[in-house]
Amino acid sequence: MKASYAKYGILPGTLIIFVAVWWVIAAEVNNSREIVGPLQTGRALVSLFTDPPLTRLLAAGLQVTITSILIGFALAVMVGIPIGVLMGRYLIADLFCDPWVNIWYSIPAIAFVPLTMNWTGVSSTSSVIIAFLITVFTVIINVYGGVKNISGSLVDCGAAYGASQTQILTKIILPATLPSIMVSLRLGISRAIEGVIIAEMVFTVVGIGGLMDDAADNLQLALSGALIIILAVISLVLAEVVKYTTRRAVAWKESQAMIRE
Amino acid sequence: MKSTRTMSFLAKFGIFCASLGLFFVLWEVAALSVGKSLILVGPIPVLQALIALLQNHLPRGILGIQGADAAILQTLATILFGFVLACIVGIPVGLIMGRWKTAEVLIDPWLSATYSIPIVILIPMLYFAIGADFYAEIFVTFLLTVFTIIVNTHHGVKYVSNALAEVGKSYGASESQFVTKIILPASMPDIISGMRIGMGRAILAAVLAEVLMSGNGLGGMMMTFQDVLNTPYMMAVVFLIALMGIAVLQLPKILERRLFRWKETESLSREIRR
Repeated sequence: MKASYAKYGILPGTLIIFVAVWWVIAAEVNNSREIVGPLQTGRALVSLFTDPPLTRLLAAGLQVTITSILIGFALAVMVGIPIGVLMGRYLIADLFCDPWVNIWYSIPAIAFVPLTMNWTGVSSTSSVIIAFLITVFTVIINVYGGVKNISGSLVDCGAAYGASQTQILTKIILPATLPSIMVSLRLGISRAIEGVIIAEMVFTVVGIGGLMDDAADNLQLALSGALIIILAVISLVLAEVVKYTTRRAVAWKESQAMIRE
Repeated sequence: MKSTRTMSFLAKFGIFCASLGLFFVLWEVAALSVGKSLILVGPIPVLQALIALLQNHLPRGILGIQGADAAILQTLATILFGFVLACIVGIPVGLIMGRWKTAEVLIDPWLSATYSIPIVILIPMLYFAIGADFYAEIFVTFLLTVFTIIVNTHHGVKYVSNALAEVGKSYGASESQFVTKIILPASMPDIISGMRIGMGRAILAAVLAEVLMSGNGLGGMMMTFQDVLNTPYMMAVVFLIALMGIAVLQLPKILERRLFRWKETESLSREIRR
């Protein structure tokens, strides 16, 4: 973990550079149908919070998008962790599931979009399914890796002292896998966010992603830009909350996987 | 617990076949119980549609899309051009970041931002800024891939073992020798693992760009069939995209196996991120 103090000074600097470059490019292009500057986008952002009809749209969109992300993520975690543990513990489960997990993991999220459109229509249920499908395999793969890498001496020791299967599972396997589970949560939330946003951009009528795409289609680029900023903030907050919580949960163990990130 | 080695190849293959068979049976049962071909069709019509597509036959009444071969070629070209471009830019940037503190401090906030903010949200904006042609799609693919490559290269270069670096230094290696003879080979496993994850991103990016921007290629074809509710063909294209993804993902893996038979890379089994 590199918590350098220079980073805190560099962060506002980077933001200023970003806005400045954006401003210059927008001024150079000078065509509001191609790119809008930070000023107009800022104004649109303010109007999103002050203009009552827009605020209502925003509130409804926020609710849909955030619940889709959270439900998809929670489902993926609830399904993925048990499957990952089973695959790590039992060879049969491993051989049975491994090809499928790897195949489904390689399928890009966008390929699920038309399928779910057939199943549940253009709705937030579809975004939840997509978020679930692209998150669950990440969770499975990471938990599986964690269970597989548990040192054999830990399990043997438990077995030698006569621990039952459930005791081995709850007292040895799960605590030892916790860091990997936390990593899978952190990777998973990013994927769930991305999945929901991709789905909503294609659907164009659901959630903030839909609002954003719709605004762009109607050439309201400033509004679209403002919604992009809001989406970025949501993603940032959700990802950081999960990151912080998972760090706290396994603060006792500086795991290899955590350091690598 | 029995280790994987003790199980014969035949038994493993048998289990794999059983798992494959179970999948198709479940699929067929699901399709039969749904009973509406608009919602879900069984594996057989999808395979028929897939074969027809591969023979370049399109169903009647579908206008304005390319043949399957042209679509596959275009999607593949987008993936590969975007990916190669991302490698050409990303590996040097990662290298510079790993070697030069100032660059690291300047570039790191951008990378941290892409950890948490999905870049896909920029696509509707890019549509207006750079158009919706082939080059725009390559740019989107590049943009979604390059950060993964930079992050992994940076990580690899930064954590080259000190023992290696010190031997090089003490034997008086020049900076260019140091980089080409020590840093690059030692960080190669991380670079390749970045390429592998990046390839997955490139596939997503290319198809997404086709869906949201030009409507060409396999992505556009998939959405066209969705629009006309031709479910077998739509699912066949989804299949094709999945197959292509799996095939293309093997490239960095093959490269990794070839180059690093000497090194058990941890990256083989674990994703650093996305």
